[in-house]
Amino acid sequence: MDGNDLTEPLPLQLLRDLQAAVGTDWIFSDPDRMVVYETDAQTAHSQAPHAVVLPATTEEASEVVHALHGHGILMIPRGAGTGLSGGAVALRGGVVVGTSRMTGILEVDHENRRALVQCGVLNNDLNAAVAPYGLHYAPDPSSQSACTIGGNVAENSGGPHCLKYGVTSRYVTALRVVLPDGRVTWLGGQGREQGAFDLAGLFVGSEGCFGLATEVEVALLPLPEAARTLLVIFETIEDAGRAVTAIISRGLLPAALEIVDRNTIRAVEASIFAAGYPTDAGAALVVEFDGVEAGLERHAEEAARCCLDAGAREVRHAESDQERMALWKGRKKAFGAMGRLAPDLLVQDATVPRSRLPGVLARISEIARRYDLQVANVFHAGDGNLHPNLVYDRRDPEEGRRVEQASAEIMKVCVEAGGTITGEHGVGVDKRKYMHLVFSPAELEILRGVKQVFDPMGLCNPGKVLPDGQEAP
Amino acid sequence: MTHLIRELQKREEKLFHCVHCGFCLPACPTYTRLGDEADSPRGRLHFMRAIVEGRLEPDSPAVTRHLDRCLGCRACESVCPSGVEYGQLLEGAREVVARAGGASFLTRLLPAVMGRPVLLRPAMLLARIVRGTGILDRAVRRLSGEGWSGQVRLGLGMMAATSPPRLLSRSMSPNELLGPEEKMDAEMPGETMGHGTRAAVFKGCVQEGLLGRVNHATARVLNANGFKVVDVPGQGCCGAVHAHTGGLKGARELARRNIRAFERAGAGVVAVNAAGCGATMKEYPHLLGDDPEYGTRARDLAARVRDISEILGTADVRVGGRLPMRVTYDAPCHLLHAQRISAQPLAMLESVPGLELVPLRGHEECCGGAGVYGITHPELGGRIGKDKVRAIVSTGAQAVATGNPGCMMQIGAGLRMAGVAVDVVHPVELLDESYRRGGLYR
Repeated sequence: MDGNDLTEPLPLQLLRDLQAAVGTDWIFSDPDRMVVYETDAQTAHSQAPHAVVLPATTEEASEVVHALHGHGILMIPRGAGTGLSGGAVALRGGVVVGTSRMTGILEVDHENRRALVQCGVLNNDLNAAVAPYGLHYAPDPSSQSACTIGGNVAENSGGPHCLKYGVTSRYVTALRVVLPDGRVTWLGGQGREQGAFDLAGLFVGSEGCFGLATEVEVALLPLPEAARTLLVIFETIEDAGRAVTAIISRGLLPAALEIVDRNTIRAVEASIFAAGYPTDAGAALVVEFDGVEAGLERHAEEAARCCLDAGAREVRHAESDQERMALWKGRKKAFGAMGRLAPDLLVQDATVPRSRLPGVLARISEIARRYDLQVANVFHAGDGNLHPNLVYDRRDPEEGRRVEQASAEIMKVCVEAGGTITGEHGVGVDKRKYMHLVFSPAELEILRGVKQVFDPMGLCNPGKVLPDGQEAP
Repeated sequence: MTHLIRELQKREEKLFHCVHCGFCLPACPTYTRLGDEADSPRGRLHFMRAIVEGRLEPDSPAVTRHLDRCLGCRACESVCPSGVEYGQLLEGAREVVARAGGASFLTRLLPAVMGRPVLLRPAMLLARIVRGTGILDRAVRRLSGEGWSGQVRLGLGMMAATSPPRLLSRSMSPNELLGPEEKMDAEMPGETMGHGTRAAVFKGCVQEGLLGRVNHATARVLNANGFKVVDVPGQGCCGAVHAHTGGLKGARELARRNIRAFERAGAGVVAVNAAGCGATMKEYPHLLGDDPEYGTRARDLAARVRDISEILGTADVRVGGRLPMRVTYDAPCHLLHAQRISAQPLAMLESVPGLELVPLRGHEECCGGAGVYGITHPELGGRIGKDKVRAIVSTGAQAVATGNPGCMMQIGAGLRMAGVAVDVVHPVELLDESYRRGGLYR
């Protein structure tokens, strides 16, 4: 198999080169210590790396990557390890290059509404830094309190408010990257349109397979003047799905439309992030409108009517910023709260056309029942991005197999409904086996070609995204 | 080794609540400074799980180093959506590590002294005598901050930090003992919050030994608010230091001793002014969960334990005289994260007329005290401590209030070492001073 022999230690000269690059304090290779790096937030895929290196600057990162390249050792970029597709796991050994020390906000150019940050800056920290200027960085993954901008770039992350604002790729204007051989270059125009092929756009969403983006220039938006947030309670998740279709087909443009089902509500309400979602409801829908104050009220009322027509039990209005924040906290911490249902979970991430939501949700419930599994749905309903969480206990291998099979069936249902295999979590290790469902052989060929252009030696995050015949069936 | 691992396995279910989401990483003072996931809550839980699964030995140097490097501040619990009881898991894991021989000399010495009055009393007396000579402050000014001398300097600074604050009146006498029937306030109005409830003050070991003035202030303020303060002979160290360093057996013995003592006193409320002690006492039911004789009694006591701010941080607290001071507040981790008490200490300070309360950046983050962390981990503890000092200085406050002896000592030492004249006080001392100035103690 490709990759570095997992039983072979790293060459001594390489260790010396890495130490020279970052200093002895920032490289670890004690095998016991590597155990904590064996997974990210997707625990089904697990393999400890040979070593972990934490550079602090682009220059250090470049030296590190150059040394790895020289020795033919694999490089696995890792942000905060909050990814949900196994993208930061050293599946075939090699060296994890972590970005946890690259946390500098290098520049906030509020007049031109742009910021330049190091890749390890947390999404929330960027927002806190630009808020005093009345600005924000729009993509808001639910893990934004912990995830890094570099990770967001790698996964082309979305979030609840991306329904209105769009995902990461829309906001990244330039990237400073360390290519897999250690060369450093800017991609994109740094504040101006460059023309020609959009290389920064190509790099966003490359899941660490094209190199390491160490500095990221992003576009900022003014903070919305006001917001209206509704919490709508439904007896069934299908009704909630119908309400979403109704809101969108009415021509309304909410900033966010999020559904949480009964199991998720119960997990969240048991947590410190309890938001007052009723635990006897079949599902809850969070609807938010934001922007200039004028018109918000009318849009919210129209959305409320759509919900009531779809069979909503109750419509609540967030009366204060505090209530609004609580509703969002409940939603955004839902994934983390699943530990209350079972020790392990496989969170799926598929996108279907909005109009197909009710039907697909019914099929998912049916599949979970057939495999005798508990499913908790929490998802970005507005853009049809489903996140069915299959909860299980990996100590029961038989249950683990059922999860795998159910997961594959769910994927098929989504693709058959005209959807795709990932909305925002990336392909990583987890979804390589589904790539053929949505990509033609010709497209896969092109994807391999692009990878080849950036990383001819195949050293950069191997075993991710592209199927190579070695993925589990 | 297997019998030790079984200890952790008993906690396995709790361990498996962690779904690896990583939301705890930015809350962890060691991860944010070191950037290594082995020094993050998720990483440490992963070590514990690997031990349970038999993939790592508990005396593995990696496990020992990274579990040892945890401050035990439990800030991760405040952000964990799955409610992982990290503090309790850490105690269990440290016991396994300690029994496997992984604990350092200092980590074993401290609980050995604190749990034994025979050793503790002379040690505290000696410390008070030395403190009285003023030699400590001179030493802190002269000693170098580098290496071994830096650790000694911090230790001496921590002792010096227990000196009475410059801005407040000196207590009546440094170590007077408040008798059970002593009347502090003859003209106590009838409509006060206590309504004559019998309240016991938990004295603690370091608190009573070096910060006795805080215990006296607590008793006076309770008394002024209509509580009948009763003496509780036989009470002792709460066992926190033992539990945090893996000595669960010793912690249980001390817990039983305190349960007996407070049962005899028959107090309706047990007022605790040391956040670490309060957190531990509220967790006695967990500590003694398997004890057939003490399980229920532990729950009884825990239900009566209140941090002093829980009692006084309400609208009913009596208002004293003006105390025109600029004060900032640092939240002790074992109050904010372990006991989830955030608003009451602020309310208590805001009730003082004339006191200007200024917010402290990073007030929710550990000061680096964590027992004797600064001495066992000088480099990292020093960095965390300096960050706290910088934040305090930037507020321009004359005093920083915090409700835990460990934090008072760590912050006080940090300020002294930085040559900054900011007082460190317990919030109850400010209320006490305001009462004195307002003539409530006649």
